[in-house]
Amino acid sequence: MSDVERWGAAATWSTAAELSPMQTLLWRSERHPVQSSTSTVVIDLDRAPDWARFVAATEWGTRLVRRLRQRVVDPVVPTAAPTWTDDPTFDLGYHLRREQVSSREEVLQRAAQMALRPFDRSRPLWEGVLFELPEGAAYVLKIHHVLADPLGTVQLLATLQSGRRGHTARKPVGDDPAPTGVDPVDLAVSGLREELAALPDAARTTARTLGHAVTRPQAVVASGLRYGASVRRLLTRGAPQSPELSPRTGKKWTFLTLDAPLEPLRTIARQGGGTLDDAAVAVVLGGLRRYHRRRGSDPTELPVGVRVSLDRADDLGNRFTAAAIAGPLAIDDLVDRVAAVRGEVLSLHTERALEVLDAAAPLMNRMPSFVGASALRAAAAPDAFVMTLPGPPRRRFMAGAQVQGMYVLGPLPGAALTVVVTTVGETACIGVNVDASAVADVAALEECLAQEVDAIAG
Amino acid sequence: MSTPRTNGLSAEVRAAIEAIEAGPQGPDVGAFFDLDGTLVAGYTAATFYGDRLKGREVSPAEFLRTVVTAVDGELGGDPTRIAHVAFAAMRGESEEAFADLGERLFRSKIAGTIRRESRALVAAHQRAGHTVAVASAATAYQIRPVARDLGVEHLVCTRLVVEDGQFTGETDGPMLWGRHKASGVRAFAREHDVDLATSYAYGNGYEDVAFLSSVGHPTALNPHRDLRAAAARLGWPVLDLSDPVGGSLLAAGRTVAALAAMNAGVTAGIAYGLARGDRREGRNLAVRLATQLPMSLAGVSLEVLHQERLWTHRPAIFVANHQSSLDIPVLGRLLERDFTIVAKKEARWDPRAIVGSVVIDPAWIDRSDSASARATLDGVVERIRGGTSLMIFAEGTRSPTPVLGPFRKGAFHLAAQAGVPVVPVVLRNTGELMRRSSLVLNPGVVDVCVLEPETDWHEDDMSERIAALHRRFEETLARWPA
Repeated sequence: MSDVERWGAAATWSTAAELSPMQTLLWRSERHPVQSSTSTVVIDLDRAPDWARFVAATEWGTRLVRRLRQRVVDPVVPTAAPTWTDDPTFDLGYHLRREQVSSREEVLQRAAQMALRPFDRSRPLWEGVLFELPEGAAYVLKIHHVLADPLGTVQLLATLQSGRRGHTARKPVGDDPAPTGVDPVDLAVSGLREELAALPDAARTTARTLGHAVTRPQAVVASGLRYGASVRRLLTRGAPQSPELSPRTGKKWTFLTLDAPLEPLRTIARQGGGTLDDAAVAVVLGGLRRYHRRRGSDPTELPVGVRVSLDRADDLGNRFTAAAIAGPLAIDDLVDRVAAVRGEVLSLHTERALEVLDAAAPLMNRMPSFVGASALRAAAAPDAFVMTLPGPPRRRFMAGAQVQGMYVLGPLPGAALTVVVTTVGETACIGVNVDASAVADVAALEECLAQEVDAIAG
Repeated sequence: MSTPRTNGLSAEVRAAIEAIEAGPQGPDVGAFFDLDGTLVAGYTAATFYGDRLKGREVSPAEFLRTVVTAVDGELGGDPTRIAHVAFAAMRGESEEAFADLGERLFRSKIAGTIRRESRALVAAHQRAGHTVAVASAATAYQIRPVARDLGVEHLVCTRLVVEDGQFTGETDGPMLWGRHKASGVRAFAREHDVDLATSYAYGNGYEDVAFLSSVGHPTALNPHRDLRAAAARLGWPVLDLSDPVGGSLLAAGRTVAALAAMNAGVTAGIAYGLARGDRREGRNLAVRLATQLPMSLAGVSLEVLHQERLWTHRPAIFVANHQSSLDIPVLGRLLERDFTIVAKKEARWDPRAIVGSVVIDPAWIDRSDSASARATLDGVVERIRGGTSLMIFAEGTRSPTPVLGPFRKGAFHLAAQAGVPVVPVVLRNTGELMRRSSLVLNPGVVDVCVLEPETDWHEDDMSERIAALHRRFEETLARWPA
C-alpha cells in the first residue's frame, strides 16, 4: 500500500462517537499508575529530524486523525457512555515538545517519568516528546488506552510514518468537521431519556428470559454452574505468584528495551508448533527462569498474562481479552517451552467465561466506578504480561529520520513486568516495563533477558 | 429402510482414513489416542470404581469424599484430585490383583465399549506404519488390555508407584492430565524420533487441548462440549463416531418378544415333527421358525455375501468366528436345515442353550474325558457322512471383542476324517448388537461373508491351511468385501 493510500485510510481510523463498554470500564476504573491505561512508545530515530518539519508533520497527523484532537466527555451520572468531542482549545504546543538528553538510558528514564504522570483527562489523551541525542534521536509517545490500545497505537504510528525520507508534498487531510459541543449534563439527560424509552423493550426481554428460565430450570442451572466453573478455572488457572517478584506497588516503572532478530524467533515458534506470541512468552519465561536461578529460587511455574482472541484463535481481530496461564519455568529446551506455552494458551479456548469482562462491562458501567475497578483487580495478577504486536514490515521514516526501532512499554496492571514485542522490519523490538519495587535487581533481570535473547540468535 | 452402509463406517471416518492413507507413512509419524471417551465410550475409571462399590471395598467416608471431590472437579476445582483420592485409597493393594481385575473388567465390560470406528482409525494408522500410542491419564491397568486388543504397543500414561508388589498410593511423576499429557507425548516423541508436526492425535476432553495442539493433525473425537467450542475456534476437525449400542428399553422389550417367538417356534416345529413322525423335518422347521420370526421381531436382519456357498458343498463343516450369543441364532437362520453343533457337556443345562439343544440335537462332548470325547466325535463323523452338516466356532470360545482369536484344530480334523469340505463363515458386528454377557439384543444389520469352501483336508498340511484360513478371516474382517 502506498503512503498516500495508507494515509487516506487513516482519516477513517477510530471514528466511533462513544467509548465502547470495555473502554468505558477502563476509563472509569482508571487509578493511575496502579491501575493504569497508559502505554508509552519509544521510537529510535537515526538522526534528529528538523523540528519545524516534525511539528508540521504532527500537526498534519492530528488533522488527519481527528481523535488526536478530541477529548472525552463524561456524563454527570453514568446513564450514557462517555463521548468523544472535538476540543476547541486544542493546542499542539501542549502535547508536543522537544528536549535535549545525553544518552539513550536517559531517554528511557525520562519516558518512564512521563508515563507515570497522569493525563489531563479534560484534554486529548496523548503527549509526545522528541528527545534529541548527541547522535540520533528518540520520539516518545504516551497514549491513553481509550484513544488507542497498544495494537491500535502501533498500527496508527505505522500508518502515519512515511515510506521515504523526503517530504511528501500533497498529503491527504481529513475533512474539517463542524464543531460539536457535548455537555456532561445533556449527555446524562439524553442517556436517561433513551433508557426510559427502551425500558418497555428491556422489560419484555427480561420477562421472556425469565420465562424461559422457569420452563427449563435444569438447563438454566446447569449452564449457570458451568459458567461459574469456567470463571473459577480462569481465576485459578495461573500458577501462584513468585515470591521473588514482590512486593509490587505499581508505582516505580522502569523501562528496558531489547532487540531480537525476528527470523530465528519465527523458526523457534514454528518448531514448537506455536505462534510468535507463544515464542515471545517462552523467551520471557526463559529470562525469568535465569533470573530466578540467579536469585536462588526455582519455581516450576509462573502466572503469565497473555492476550486471547475471542473469535478464532490466532486471529488478531478486534475482540480479545487477557487471561492468565501457568507459564512453564522448569522446561530447559526453548522449543519444548514454546509447545508447552502453546498448549496452555489454546486450552483457554475451552473456557466459556473468557469473555466474562466484556459481558459484564455494560452492567458494571452503570454502577459506581469502584465496582468496575474491583472487578478488574479480582483476577489474581500474573507475574508478567506478554504480548506481541505487528509493526511496519519495513523501516519507515518520521519527518526525514529513519525509524530504527519501536518499543511499546505497557502499563503494569498488578504484574511485576509487562513485555511487549513489536515487530519492526526483521527485528523484534522488546519493550519491558518493570515494577522496580518488585524486582530486587533490575540490572540482573535485564541481563537475564538479554542472555535468553542471545541464545535465540546464536 | 436400508441406509447406505459401507464397511459400517461413516463418510467422515472414511474420509479421515483416506487422508491417513494419502499422508506420510512410516514410524516417524505418530498417532496418539486418548482412552476414555475416545477409544472407548464412557469412562473406564467409572467401571473400576463401580466394581469397588459392588465389592463394598469403599467405606462411606471414602465414598463421600469421592463424591465431593468429583462435584468440586466439575465446578471448576482441580479435576485431577478425584484420581488422587482414588490412588490414595489403593494404598497397600496388590499390583498383580489389580492387573487381574483390569483383565476381568476388560472382558466383562470394557471390551464391549471400544468404538468400532476408533478401531478402524487405529488400524488405518497401523497399516500406514505409524507409531501408534495410547496417551491417557488412566493407569496401565485400565489401558493395557484395550491397547493389546487393538495391537497398540506404546502407552503414555499415569504410573503408580509399586513397592514390594503393593501400591503406595502415590503416582510416579504427575498424573498425565492436561498439560502433563501434552508434555508426556512430547517426551515420547523425542525418545522415539517421532515428528510431531506430521503426527496425529485424537482426544475428547476439554483438558485435551494441550495434548491435541502438540501435533500437526489434531482431531476432536466425540468432543466434550467445551472442546467442541474450542475446536471450532481453533479450526480443528471434529469426528463424531457412533457408540456401541447399549440396551434400550425398547430393545429389551423386543428381545423378550423374540425369545417368546423362539420358544413358540420350537414348540410348533417339534409338534409338527411328532405329528408327522419325522423328527428330522420337525427339527428343520423348528430352526426356521425359531430363528426367522424372532430375529425380525428383534429388528435384526442379515446381509449375506456369497449366500450360495452355504448350499453348494453340503454336507460340510461350517466354521465361523464367535463374539456373541447372537451368533447361534444367526447361523441357525443361515444354515436353515440339516445341521448340528458340537457343544461342551457343561453347557447342556445352561438355560440359554436349552432351547437350542432341543432343536438341533447337538453332539455333547465331555472335554474332561478324552476317551468319551473321541467316541462322541466318531459318532459325529458318522452323522456328517449321513448328511448332517456341522457348525463349529473355530476359536472354540467367544472373543470379548471383534479381534479374532487363534483357531482350534478340532473342526479341521473332523473335516479330514469325514472327508467333507470346510465352509468358512465370517460374522461381523454380532458382538455389537448383543454384547458378551448381555441378555439384550439390539436392532441392526449383521454382516455375513461366506468365504470360498475348502475341500480335501489332510493331516499333513493342516496347520498351514488353518493359518492361511485364519489370515483370510482377519483380512475379511479388516477390509469387508464390497
